Amino acid sequence: MMRNLTYQGIPIWRHAQVIQWASQIVSGILVVVLVAWFFINIGSAIAERNIPYGFSFLSRGYQTPIGQHFLPYKSSDTFQYALFVAFTNTLVVSIIGVILATALGIVVGVARMSSNWLVAKMAAVYVEFFRNVPLLVQLFFWFYIVLALPPVREGYVVAGNVYVNNAGVSVPFPSPGRGDAALIWLALAAAAIALGFVAHRMMSRREEQMGIASYPVVYGCVVAVVGGAVAWFVVMVTIGTAPLVISIPAPEGAFGRIAGGFTGSAGLLALLVGLIIYTSSFIAEIVRAGIQSVNRGQIEAARALGLAPMATLRNVTFPQALRVIIPPLISQYLNLTKNSSLAGAIGYSDLTNVAKTMTQTAPAVSIFVLIMLSYLALSLAYSLIGNLYNRHIRFAGG
Amino acid sequence: MAFNNAQASGSAPPPRYQAGIAGWIRENLFSSRFNGSLTVITAALLLLAAWFCLRWVLLTADWSVIATIGGGFFIGQYNTELACPGQNCFWRPQAGLLLVTLLLGMAWGVVGRVGMQVALAVGIVSAALAFLPYDMESMGPDVRILLIANLPVVFAGWALVRYTSLVTVQRLVIAGVIVFLLILVLLRGLPGVPGMQPVSVIHWGGLTLNLLLAVAGIVLSLPIGIALALGRRSNLPIVKLLCVVFIEIFRGVPLITLLFMSQVLVPLAFPEDFPQNSVFRAAVIITLFSSAYMAENIRGGLQALSRGQVEAARALGLAGWQTTLLIELPQAIRNVIPAIVGQFIALFKDTSLVYIIGMLDVVEIGRAFIQGNPEYLGNARELFIFLAIVFWIFTYSMSYVSGRIEEHMGVGRR
Repeated sequence: MMRNLTYQGIPIWRHAQVIQWASQIVSGILVVVLVAWFFINIGSAIAERNIPYGFSFLSRGYQTPIGQHFLPYKSSDTFQYALFVAFTNTLVVSIIGVILATALGIVVGVARMSSNWLVAKMAAVYVEFFRNVPLLVQLFFWFYIVLALPPVREGYVVAGNVYVNNAGVSVPFPSPGRGDAALIWLALAAAAIALGFVAHRMMSRREEQMGIASYPVVYGCVVAVVGGAVAWFVVMVTIGTAPLVISIPAPEGAFGRIAGGFTGSAGLLALLVGLIIYTSSFIAEIVRAGIQSVNRGQIEAARALGLAPMATLRNVTFPQALRVIIPPLISQYLNLTKNSSLAGAIGYSDLTNVAKTMTQTAPAVSIFVLIMLSYLALSLAYSLIGNLYNRHIRFAGG
Repeated sequence: MAFNNAQASGSAPPPRYQAGIAGWIRENLFSSRFNGSLTVITAALLLLAAWFCLRWVLLTADWSVIATIGGGFFIGQYNTELACPGQNCFWRPQAGLLLVTLLLGMAWGVVGRVGMQVALAVGIVSAALAFLPYDMESMGPDVRILLIANLPVVFAGWALVRYTSLVTVQRLVIAGVIVFLLILVLLRGLPGVPGMQPVSVIHWGGLTLNLLLAVAGIVLSLPIGIALALGRRSNLPIVKLLCVVFIEIFRGVPLITLLFMSQVLVPLAFPEDFPQNSVFRAAVIITLFSSAYMAENIRGGLQALSRGQVEAARALGLAGWQTTLLIELPQAIRNVIPAIVGQFIALFKDTSLVYIIGMLDVVEIGRAFIQGNPEYLGNARELFIFLAIVFWIFTYSMSYVSGRIEEHMGVGRR
């Protein structure tokens, strides 16, 4: 017999690419089947147990009160509007929290790098303590501190207008005047701010190109403020009412409930304080790592050129540290936003808490999908802003 | 002025006194006028705060709420009439604790100094609990003896390593897994065995529950995270897609939402008479959630690795899987140990979120107690400060141990 010596190629079951693709397709099918099995089972359970499904519930009335809300809301409003109100509740906490946590985190982070031993140690203790204790415990701590305040009628009154009691803190707050005045003014003010940005840009270009000190920030702010004031005046004259009036809180009715102004409920206050302190301890570490990443020679050069320590920090160290700081900082912002879902434990109606209540009267699967999309949208928004800013500082720095 | 004088006399001014305590204080606290005033202000504020805190802790605060909850912090409702009718079940979690201290004692023998610190700390604290003036008689007379036994058991474990050759690192790991499973059996009980009456998982709670969830999550989330990280970096498009989708979904949604939704949805996916186990479900969700973050940490480590390592390994003739397992992963993991431990700590803190599915973990047991007994509402501060300290001790020990490990492995040095 003559042996067949011609090369026949690798047999198909040993061909690397075939194996790779086969295993991939098998694992892909396996995952799809598992996920499908999960949801088909849920679907059949829904059908069997007469559980409502789909998204038609969104236009039904929610019929449940929401504790603290920043948009006007009444129980007869629809599910979709209630979800939107809950979303704004999460958004407000997230934005205020992000701003204040960043400020506090930078202060603590810089303090940790201080050459003053006492200040550095105190900052270290702050970070090590608040970072290592569950946020939930911290939230409960602050929450029960507010609850332990005296009841509304015996509450403290600070500076005549600020009411502090176990229902929360009430402060004077601008509220919209008659009709559409506030809306019109806000639109005009937004235009003024845009104009301020244009002025800032023109002035900084002039400074760059002609080398004349042009104070772009001052110009921008002046344009925005003057524009806002002019808009205010125009609205006053044409509509005949101030766009915003300061609403002052005052006790009202037989129970002395505080009406008017803005009342931060115990849940909101505890949530903000807890989130800000907790997140700031993480941000402080990020800031420290960023500052440490800046080449020591840069700081020595700045000092040799005669810059004061503060000026060195602001103009030399910080701009360079920012490039290291921004990416983890954004992930902390996302963590803060997601951590705000603990609000339910202390009675603040954030997105997750409202969604949890809704599952009692509406299909859970649909609500889960909506919640996931909302958090995803928030994540994307933060990432987008962060990435844009990151690109901005990268190019500006060269 | 000083400069001019020195110039005039032709010699430099004498150097400032730099050594000793005075030198240290000058250097670190009063190096400039600004620094000096900062020190004075900070010290004044610190003293004021310390004065108020001390006065509160010693005079105002009423710590009776801690004593009243007592053993509940450790086991939740486990030993109540509801969970374990007609029997004393407190010995079961305690026997579990004894197994843990034995394991820690053996770890002391194998690992050395860090192991000793952890083992002795756990042994001493557990034994010391027996001397607290709590009403432990209601939990059975053997309770105190079992607690005190923890300290000798630590030494027994250490001696087992020191004087026999029974324990090796591999065997210690296997023993760890066996102890974990044994504890689960002890807590769950065995039907038909006297004294081992089954206790439903809904009655598990307290610190035991936090630690069980944390240990299961820590042990499992690392390998799953590694697999996900490798999958995300692989060039197989379908595997990569699956990993990316998994990671981003679990990273995009808060844990609390996932826990809650799992409680609503998972029972729907199984037949109505299918046994539901909320602790198991919580453990799975926490593990998957944590492994998504773990995957990103490890991916960071893999990305930071220099390309030359892989190329050298391939040039030496190592296969693809060998390159990954023997060259890339060990270096990548070593470089991101701080991030991994940070994730472990986050996982441990996150176990407090199981309140959302009605489990009474150490935080929720305290909160539920306060809600149920309004006369203690004014003592919430004491309770949560106590809980904060409990968690802090665990998390800080974790970062301390990781610091020693990093030192040992030379992270940050090459």
